[in-house]
Amino acid sequence: MASGRDVRDMLGLPICTDAQKSAVQKRAKPAAPARRIHGVAREVAALYGERPPPVAVYEEKKTYRAKRQSTGPVKKWVQQPFTNQARSDGLVLKHWRRKPTTAPPVQDGEDLAMEDGENTEPYIENSAEFVKYNISVDLPTFTDEEYDAHLRSEDWSREETDYLFEVVKDYSYRWAVIWDRYDYQPANKSHLTQETVDRNESSQALAALPFAPAKTRTVEDLKARFYDISAKLMKLRIPEMQMDADQYSLYETLSKFDPNLERNRKNLAAALMNRNMDEVKEEEFLLAELQRINMAANRLDAEREELRARLDAPISNQQVQAGLASFTSSQALQALFSQLFQQDRSKKRASGGGSGPARLSLNASDLIQTPSSSTHPHLSASARRQSTATQPAAQTPIRTLPPQQEYRYNVSTHDRLTSGVTFGSDKLLKMRQAKSNVQTQKIATALAELGIAEVIQIPTSKVGEQFEGLINKVSKLIDMRKVREKEEGEIRVLEAMKERRMSEVKQDPSSNSAADGKTKQEIPDSQEMPSMDGEGEDEDADGDADADGEPDADADGDADIDAEGEEDEDAEGEEESRQPSEMASSRAQSQSAAGHKRSASVFSQTSNKSTKRARK
Amino acid sequence: MNIPNSSSAPAPGEYAGDEVSAIVLDPGWSTTRAGFAGEDVPKSVIPSFYGQIDSDSGSQYLFGENAIHNPLGNLQVKNPWGDDGIVEDWETATKLWEYAITSKLTGTKAGHPSKNGLNDGNDTNGDAMDVDMDTVENQEKPLEDSPLLVTEPGWNSAKAREKTIEIAMEEWGTPAFYLQKTGVLAAFASGKASGIIIDVGASHTSVTPVLDGMVLRKGVQKSTLAGNFVSNQIRLIFKQSQPEIPLTPHYLVKAKTPVDAGAPAQAIYKTFNIPPHDSFRRLEEERVLTEFKESVVEIWPGPGRLSNGTNEEIAKSMPGRPFEMPDGWNQVFGLDRFRPAEALFDAKAAVQDADNPRPKDEHTIPRLVQAAVQHVDADQRPLLLQNIVVTGGSTLLYKFNDRLNYEINSIYPSTRNKLIAPGPVVERKYAAWIGGSILASLGSFHQLWISKKEYEEHGANIVEKRCR
Repeated sequence: MASGRDVRDMLGLPICTDAQKSAVQKRAKPAAPARRIHGVAREVAALYGERPPPVAVYEEKKTYRAKRQSTGPVKKWVQQPFTNQARSDGLVLKHWRRKPTTAPPVQDGEDLAMEDGENTEPYIENSAEFVKYNISVDLPTFTDEEYDAHLRSEDWSREETDYLFEVVKDYSYRWAVIWDRYDYQPANKSHLTQETVDRNESSQALAALPFAPAKTRTVEDLKARFYDISAKLMKLRIPEMQMDADQYSLYETLSKFDPNLERNRKNLAAALMNRNMDEVKEEEFLLAELQRINMAANRLDAEREELRARLDAPISNQQVQAGLASFTSSQALQALFSQLFQQDRSKKRASGGGSGPARLSLNASDLIQTPSSSTHPHLSASARRQSTATQPAAQTPIRTLPPQQEYRYNVSTHDRLTSGVTFGSDKLLKMRQAKSNVQTQKIATALAELGIAEVIQIPTSKVGEQFEGLINKVSKLIDMRKVREKEEGEIRVLEAMKERRMSEVKQDPSSNSAADGKTKQEIPDSQEMPSMDGEGEDEDADGDADADGEPDADADGDADIDAEGEEDEDAEGEEESRQPSEMASSRAQSQSAAGHKRSASVFSQTSNKSTKRARK
Repeated sequence: MNIPNSSSAPAPGEYAGDEVSAIVLDPGWSTTRAGFAGEDVPKSVIPSFYGQIDSDSGSQYLFGENAIHNPLGNLQVKNPWGDDGIVEDWETATKLWEYAITSKLTGTKAGHPSKNGLNDGNDTNGDAMDVDMDTVENQEKPLEDSPLLVTEPGWNSAKAREKTIEIAMEEWGTPAFYLQKTGVLAAFASGKASGIIIDVGASHTSVTPVLDGMVLRKGVQKSTLAGNFVSNQIRLIFKQSQPEIPLTPHYLVKAKTPVDAGAPAQAIYKTFNIPPHDSFRRLEEERVLTEFKESVVEIWPGPGRLSNGTNEEIAKSMPGRPFEMPDGWNQVFGLDRFRPAEALFDAKAAVQDADNPRPKDEHTIPRLVQAAVQHVDADQRPLLLQNIVVTGGSTLLYKFNDRLNYEINSIYPSTRNKLIAPGPVVERKYAAWIGGSILASLGSFHQLWISKKEYEEHGANIVEKRCR
């Protein structure tokens, strides 16, 4: 038996007397070490020494084992005949099943013998357990008319196309297998299935026949034909504009399949696979070399960076703030120079490259001749960084997408981007708010009338645009209403004036000026009266407006305005004809009345209906 | 209640199992394997050789391991398989296969009590005759209860396939039948649906690319550089060595005395009044050679070929292996033990004489693999090379896998090539059968069976439509 002490002894480790003592002490207690670990060989357990084992030893003895339950008498098993639902021919096979305790057709022992007999119909289980594995593939289908109209091909006969579809269906789009089994024999046999049957014979027969056998088709040819048909059928079924993103991308892949590209790709792949050992080794070597060089370059860059940091205390970033003062060191000057050079060059490239000799421009030679740099400027890390920093900005051409794709991918271009990130929903919320509270409320009621929810679920940019347009129209509408109500108020005032004047003329045609003064005083009154009425009616009127304004709400703002124009044409048309002459005077008169504007704004809260009613 | 753990068998629900006591028959050139689906090894493995004793009263056929090795007078040993790896002699093949199935699996079927002849003493003669006819019919169909899954080589002809279903349906009366390629089944046995299956059997070596459980027919390659070829090479080596190494099968030796290595044998031989046919001797010699292959022959594991550079020197310096013939002759084989199987990989190294010309280069295993891969779509090649399944009894040759691995990696250095060679001998030898056992016990497979009804409706060529 080897204990931890023995091992120490063997390894020549000093036997620590303390440890030994403690071990001895421990051993003195008979109970403590007596606990043996089960499932571990005695020798191995002894090697643990005093320390606990490095892993928790899970003692087998304690594992839970469910009690064997007796659940009554022995269960009987029967060879149960069954049919598979996935089969159409009703093949009956037998599998072992627990004998059902509540036997479906017959009871007990005798039926075992009876089952063989013809008179008792044995119970046949209908097994649907594995039907879920019976999957057939989806295949586009076409009618004869569709084929004639859209799918004809010079290279492919109708029969061969049908054959192709059949094979694709049989082998569930496994193109490698389809290609392997593809063996179309043109029309010397009537039925396709028969062709597949005795392939050997028919191929021999074919070889003997004078006409040329069917073309050998590559897998790309097959794919091209199939995808072409699929794409065309897809387009026929769903017009391009109605496809959703998935369908469209599928359609694109189908319609953009290029057999030549595919063929070339496969050739490349095959060539890559068929490289011999030397080439593979060379590639590995080159890759390793490249990695080494890259690492060395990185290290060199880092070293130089460090050196530079030590040499030039001010870092180049500060040059903008510090102005000229920052270009004190040769390094900074050179960086500036190279930056300018890059900009210049990119500008030149953008303008077409033809720069006249007279033009003031920087030259690469200038750069090289910069006296301070001992190293080649192109190698210096800062120059490289500059070039990487400036070049892509100036030179990468902006990829333009066709408008349809832009729409599809939700690409938007901005003249100017605001900094930071904003939520579309915030934008929408902002639009709801006008300068004044009253205006905001008005917009809100108008939107509520239109049935637009407080929170718009998906505030995409497109929705935002639409919403903005709507808000614009709403505010325009509100403005129009305001103006109209103002004008109506004025008309009323003027009419009142006119009446009064008429009466005054009747009473006293001489005292014109006094009447003027009176009207001036009375204007506020005359205005206040209807406005108060209006307010009183307000609640009802709003209710009416909700009901009656509905037809308007459906049409957009412009239509609204038009409709209003028609409605009130009789009223406003007259008024407008009078306007130029009378307006000036009336405004001059009414301006003094502070209540006018206010009343107008209050007035405008009442709807068309209410004013109409008021007018009546 | 058993708590499931890693060593207990999975419940049928877990692997979609639904066993219908199907029988799987995997006929091969050397042995014929048969057993119930769902089991892990074939219960009945019999040699594909059969004995035939011709006499005036007709021929007597002997089947099974015990019968054919018995040196009876005028015993001929034959094999129903043709040189092209397809069954030639269907009549005896049927009998042989039936023996494989009935001898250990189904047994002879008990007839119905009213018809089994025990209870018909009181009946009139006419009825008895009828009953007899029925009984005969019953006995003729040994497979009435079991669906049958038969394996076939990848290059099997349409005619042979139709013949197989005919036999199964009409002679054996199986309710359902299916034919599957050995390549696919061997892949299934290794748990792969796709891969390249290198099957080195007795008569043929085949390389079968399989994709999603379907053989890629264009890629199927076969050659005769297989177990029998290696045996032949050993014979040639024995013949060409100086002095010639005698090859005496066991049945000729009555007693032997130990001799020194290389010394001529001192044995007492048996004599037969009516000796068995030469073919019997050949079979028995083949057994000795099999033993030699198992215990002595080694394949140069690479790198390089045996003939390359100093490889032969290295091989020579390796310790030899002793072998004792049944008659006591014994020798330690050094370099010679590397030579018989070298031609599987390097046609140049084949031992040749006038009757045995040099095999073609394109028949060596690496070239077969290359040709098979070449016929597969470029996109699938890396996938297939990741699953190279090695099966067949001759792949058990010592260091076969090392060499194969080396050869494949030198052909395709830029892909990740992985050999899948099951360790247990049984799994290597009977991979196709095991795959068939797995397949036929799956519940989802049951819809693929060709039922008797379908066969009657469509005729034998339904097999081409359904088993592909």
